[in-house]
Amino acid sequence: MPVWIDPDICNGCNNSRQPPCLRMCPGDLIVKDHSTNKAQLKYPEDCWDCLPCVKACPIEAIEFHLSYQFGSRGAKLQPRIHKGRDFITWDAEDIKGKKESFTIRTKVMKIALDETIEDGSEGLDFSI
Amino acid sequence: MIERQTIETDILIIGGGTAGCMAAVEARERFPQYKVTILEKAHIDRSGCLAGGMNAINAYLNKGETPESFVRYVRSDSCGLIREDLVQSMSELFEYCVKKVEKWGLPVLCDDNGDYIPRGRWNIKINGESLKPILAKAARSAKAKVYNWIVVTNLLTEGDRVVGAVGFSLRNGKFYVVRAKAVLIATGGAAGLYRPNNAGDASHKTWYSPYNTGAGYAMGIRAGAEMTSYEMRYVAIRTKDAIAPTGTIALGAGAPQVNSKGERFMVTRYADIGGDGAPTPYRAHGPIQEIKEGRGPVYLDTRGITPEKVTDLKKAYLDMYPSQVLYWLANDIDPGKEPVEIQTTEPYIVGGHCQAGYWVDNERRTTLKGLYAAGDVAGGAPFKFVSGCWSEGVIAARTMGKDLSQEGLAQMEATSVPESQVDQEETRAFYPFKNHEQGKFGVQAAELESRLQKIMEQYAGGASTHYEMNEEMLKIARKKLSTLPGEIDDLVAADLHQLMKAHEVIDRIDVAQVLVEHMAYRRETRWPTYHTRTDYPERDDANWLKFVNSVKNTKSGEIEMMTRPYEQMVSGDRYQPGKKPGS
Ligand SMILES: Cc1cc2nc3c(=O)[nH]c(=O)nc-3n(C[C@H](O)[C@H](O)[C@H](O)COP(=O)(O)OP(=O)(O)OC[C@H]3O[C@@H](n4cnc5c(N)ncnc54)[C@H](O)[C@@H]3O)c2cc1C
Ligand code: SF4
Ligand code: SF4
Repeated sequence: MPVWIDPDICNGCNNSRQPPCLRMCPGDLIVKDHSTNKAQLKYPEDCWDCLPCVKACPIEAIEFHLSYQFGSRGAKLQPRIHKGRDFITWDAEDIKGKKESFTIRTKVMKIALDETIEDGSEGLDFSI
Repeated sequence: MIERQTIETDILIIGGGTAGCMAAVEARERFPQYKVTILEKAHIDRSGCLAGGMNAINAYLNKGETPESFVRYVRSDSCGLIREDLVQSMSELFEYCVKKVEKWGLPVLCDDNGDYIPRGRWNIKINGESLKPILAKAARSAKAKVYNWIVVTNLLTEGDRVVGAVGFSLRNGKFYVVRAKAVLIATGGAAGLYRPNNAGDASHKTWYSPYNTGAGYAMGIRAGAEMTSYEMRYVAIRTKDAIAPTGTIALGAGAPQVNSKGERFMVTRYADIGGDGAPTPYRAHGPIQEIKEGRGPVYLDTRGITPEKVTDLKKAYLDMYPSQVLYWLANDIDPGKEPVEIQTTEPYIVGGHCQAGYWVDNERRTTLKGLYAAGDVAGGAPFKFVSGCWSEGVIAARTMGKDLSQEGLAQMEATSVPESQVDQEETRAFYPFKNHEQGKFGVQAAELESRLQKIMEQYAGGASTHYEMNEEMLKIARKKLSTLPGEIDDLVAADLHQLMKAHEVIDRIDVAQVLVEHMAYRRETRWPTYHTRTDYPERDDANWLKFVNSVKNTKSGEIEMMTRPYEQMVSGDRYQPGKKPGS
C-alpha cells in the first residue's frame, strides 16, 4: 500500500464531489465514497508513488508509505505545504526513530476543494 | 445510448503535459485569433512525467555552450546517429522556454551573480516540485480550453488529413468528438510494454510514468503516420528498487559507478569510449555486463560525501522522486556511508531520451497533413528532457499557427468528418462495455497486459535476457504478438476506469508490434542494451548509418519498413562529444 488515506482524518473535503486528492492523481486511482464521505485509494497496485494526492490534501489525511516489499513500516515521510509562503517542508523519520526535516523552496499553487469541470461532469456519481 | 459531445476548435492539443502546456501558451500568445483546446486523460495540474516534480532541467546551454556544441555532444551520446536539424532547433529555444517558466514562478537556482547553477555540462538545478501546476496555470491563463479526464482513443482523418480526435470522459462517460484544423500530439512515451522491475503492489513503481502508455504513437500508427527509430529503446540506470533517476547522485554528488569489488569498471573496461563519460547506452550496458559476468551488485559510490551533500541529495529527490528518500529511511541507509545500489529498468519507448517516435520535419510536422508532434512522442531528437519538450511544443505551435494562416484553413469551416467514421470510432471506444454487458467471460486488460509483457520480456530483449535479442527470438515475438490484435476484441470493462485500462493495452500492442519490426530490421548493434543484437554485435556504419522508419499500411495492416538517410550538419567526429567552445 503506497499511500494510505486515514479514514479517521479524511473529511471528504466537506461536500466536494471531486476532492483535491482525487483530482490530482495522474492515474485516476482515488475515488470518493459519498455515502461515507471518505476518499479511498481504489487501485493501490497501480500507484506510481508520485504524491500529488498527499500534497493536495488540505488536512494531511494521506500518509505516504513504502510498499512493504521494499522495507519495514515505521519510517515516515510527510510533506507540509506552507500556504502563502513558497516553501514545502518534509518531515522525515527513519526506522530507528531519528527525525529530520527538510525545507525546500517551491511555488505554492492554490488548489480548490472542488472543481466544476467544463466537460459537464457536475451532478455525476463518483462513488465506488 | 452514449451521449456525444462535439467540440470545434482551431488547434487541438492531445496530452496536456510538458510539451502540450507549453505549446498551448505559445499558440495562444502568438495567434490569439485561434481557439486552442487541450484534451488530457488526467488533470493537467498533475499529469504525465512531471506529476511528482523535477529537480533539474537536463538540457540547457550553460555559459559558453552553443547549439553546435550541443549537437556534437548529443550526436556522440547517441552513437553517431541523430537528426541534427531537430536537435539543433530545439536547443536554440532552451533559454526562451526556461526563462518563461521561471517568470511563471519556477524556482531556478542561481549563484551570487544571478547565473543559473549548472549540474554537469548540460543541466541546471531547479526546485521543481510544483513544475506541473505552474505549467497548467500558464496554459489556463493563456485561455486554452482544457478538458480534463478525456482519454483520447483515435485520430479523425479525412483523406490524408488529420481533422480531429475522439475519446471518452472518465468522469461523465460521454463520447467526445473534437474537430480541429491542426492537431498536436503530445502524449509522451510508452511504459508498460515490458514486464516492470517490481511486482505486486509495486508493479507501477516504474521510472517512466506508468500512465503514459504510448497512446500517441498508437494513434499515429493506426492512421498511417511514419515512425522512426523505435529500436532505440530506453533502458535507464536507476536506483535499486525505488527506480529513481541516478543523475541526481552521479552529477549532483560526482559519484562514479563501481562493481562489488570496488572497481570503476567504466574507467577500466570502457576507457576507449570515454570511461565514466561514455555514451548513455554504454553507461547502462556497462553495469549489466558486470552483473551478467558475476561482478555485481553495482553501485554509485557515494561513500565519503559530506553530510551537507547527503542533505542536498535528499532535498533533490524530494523535489522529484520522494520515495527514494523514504526507501533510505525505511532501510536505514546513509548514502554518505554506504554506496547506492543501482539497477537497470525495463525498456521504455521515449523519444525524449532516445529517438523513437513520429518522423517529423524541422517544424515538427508529421507525415500526415494537419498532424504535428512534440515531446517524448516525437522522434529523431534524443536528449530532449523537460526543456527540449518545451522547445518542441513552441516550434510546433508556431508551425501550426503559420500553416493555419497560410493554408487559408483558418477561414474554413472545420472539416466535417463522415458520420460513419464517428460512429465506428464510438463503437471502437466503448465495445469493452458491450462485452461486459453481454456477460462475456472475455479478457481483462490486466490479463492481456501480462501476456504482452511476457512476450516482450522473453523474446524481444527484456531484462531477463540482459536486453539481448536475435533474429530467432524476434521471429517468435512477432508470431506471438500477431495473435494479440485478435484477442483485443474480447476485452471487457465494467467501468470507465477499466475502459481506460483496456485502451491502454490496445495501444501498447500496436506499439509493441512496430517496435519488434524495427528491432528486427536494424541488423547491427549501434546502441548496446537499447538494442543488443547478438547476431549482429557490431556497429556497422557502412550499412546502417541511417534511420529505420516504418508505416503501417492503413489498408493492408502490414507494417512497411524503410530507411531514411542521415545528414551531418555540424562538423566534427561523430563519435567525439566535443569540448565546450573556447576551452
Ligand atoms: C520520473 C521522471 C523524472 C524525470 N526527471 C527529469 C528531470 O529532472 N529533468 C529533466 O529535464 N527531465 C526529466 N525527465 C524527463 C522529462 O520529464 C520528460 O522527457 C518530459 O516531461 C516529457 O514531456 P511530454 O510532454 O512528452 O510528456 P508528459 O509531460 O508526460 O505529457 C504527456 C501527457 O499526455 C497525457 N496523455 C497520455 N495519453 C493520453 C491519452 N490517451 N489521451 C489524453 N491524454 C493523454 C498524459 O496524461 C500527460 O499529461 C524525467 C522523467 C521522469 C519520468
Ligand atoms: S483531499 Fe484529504 S480530506 Fe479531502 S477527500 Fe481527499 S483525503 Fe479526504
Ligand atoms: S501517489 Fe500518485 S499515483 Fe499514487 S495515489 Fe497518490 S497521486 Fe495517485
